[in-house]
Amino acid sequence: MNTMKVMLRQWCVAIAGLAPLLAAPAMAQSTPEARLAAFRERVTRLEDQDSVENLQATFGFYFDKGLWNEAADLFSRNGSFEYGLSGVYEGQDHIRRAMLLYGPQGLASGYLNNHMMLQAVIVIGADGRTATGRWQGPMMLSEPGASGVWGVGIYENEYVKEGGVWKLSKFHFYPTALTDYDRGWARSLLPMKGPSAVFPPDKPSTKVYRTMPGNYIPPFSYKHPVTGQPLTNLPQAVDSVTGQ
Amino acid sequence: MNNTKTRAALLGSLVLALCASPLAAFSQSAAEKLDALEARITRLEDMNQIEILQRTYGYFVDKSQWTLLSELFTDDATLEIGGKGLFLGKRRVLEYMQTAFGKDGAKEGSLANHMQFQSIPDISTDGKTGWIRSRAYVMSIGGWGLPLYENQYRKENGVWKISRLSGPFTMYTNWDGWGKNALNNTWPDKFDPPPDLPPSTVYLTYPAYYIIPFHFPNPVTGKAFKPEMAQAGAYAAPPGTKEQAESLTFGRLADGTQPIAEPPRK
Repeated sequence: MNTMKVMLRQWCVAIAGLAPLLAAPAMAQSTPEARLAAFRERVTRLEDQDSVENLQATFGFYFDKGLWNEAADLFSRNGSFEYGLSGVYEGQDHIRRAMLLYGPQGLASGYLNNHMMLQAVIVIGADGRTATGRWQGPMMLSEPGASGVWGVGIYENEYVKEGGVWKLSKFHFYPTALTDYDRGWARSLLPMKGPSAVFPPDKPSTKVYRTMPGNYIPPFSYKHPVTGQPLTNLPQAVDSVTGQ
Repeated sequence: MNNTKTRAALLGSLVLALCASPLAAFSQSAAEKLDALEARITRLEDMNQIEILQRTYGYFVDKSQWTLLSELFTDDATLEIGGKGLFLGKRRVLEYMQTAFGKDGAKEGSLANHMQFQSIPDISTDGKTGWIRSRAYVMSIGGWGLPLYENQYRKENGVWKISRLSGPFTMYTNWDGWGKNALNNTWPDKFDPPPDLPPSTVYLTYPAYYIIPFHFPNPVTGKAFKPEMAQAGAYAAPPGTKEQAESLTFGRLADGTQPIAEPPRK
């Protein structure tokens, strides 16, 4: 189509010498090919965003029910998994085993492991191959012989597109508050578990902080939607225990 | 697009006409198709963008980031939460938050998560205005809360901002739960600062209820929902008690038809 236009223009110039009249309107807009290419790019971004949203939601559904094998399959080969203060597990095999720390495969009677995935803000990288996502994660938890637990936290994850398929490349869940089901935040504040001695992580925690009464703000992966400023160092009171 | 044969056949007869109006015959309709396609893509992007605004508003409320929160609003935005009344303009949004809830920054021992979900975004045909109906589920040190949102957004120089936040409350309770405890709606002088305008509508929260008008019609029938006039009882005693049942006979009228205030014009 480009070639056709160029030919037409040349002929027109040759025939009538109307070059000034022709050039201006034709060149002012990009060619249909260029527009279509840009649209394809924008639609792909929208589809990518959808895929990442579904990926994280799927992870939630698997994780809720102790489907550790299925959940681990959602990670890229070198993906990492970090939950609270438990340290970082690297690679699908380690991630698969680390999840057993949250209950047996398929869970068992008396377990509740609901991790709801809400409030997604997903940003697809300019290259279309990586993405970030922030999520709000309320939790409803239970283990046999223990009281139920209400919790909430923030996910700040990274994703990678490999062979046309989006995968989790970095999973980082920051629980921010945990309480006993019967007692509530005013009377019960539970700490996070530390690293497992039975199956230690590959690396120590990338961030040490406290759940409530601490009030840690996990840095945002995306920029302020109006001002465009980074949201990585927000005002927060110094934690009286960690001193940060 | 690649139908070169047809093109070639047309060339001979159309070349002169095209010189006067280049590619008008088919290029224009292709351009129109592309314009229509672009409008649809832009609408999807716009809906995503206003959802991001609303979710970011929630993340900022969670951690008392009032300055960053106020920057999500247009200069002439209005904000109305619960029964507190209307605050006019971005500066007053900031003043409201900092006066009522303290200075910027997450404080030790505090929890006020306003989890945002169930959004229904819409964009006007001219692409300049957006709306979202959504909800928040509040998990706070004081207990549980349920606000709704029926918000409006404006695209200014290509950037979406919140131009009106309307957040009526459905239910607030302490840790005992809504079977045993229900808090009143707020009111203009419940806490500082006082609002610029009184509430756009007077309504009561659970165990009474109020339905904020929907910005969209029923997606299947296309009919607009019209709330009926009804008496709504004032909170007097726990739900299910005789006192509470009696109180339902003398409430204020809340029909949701009052207009939402426009910002002042100079």
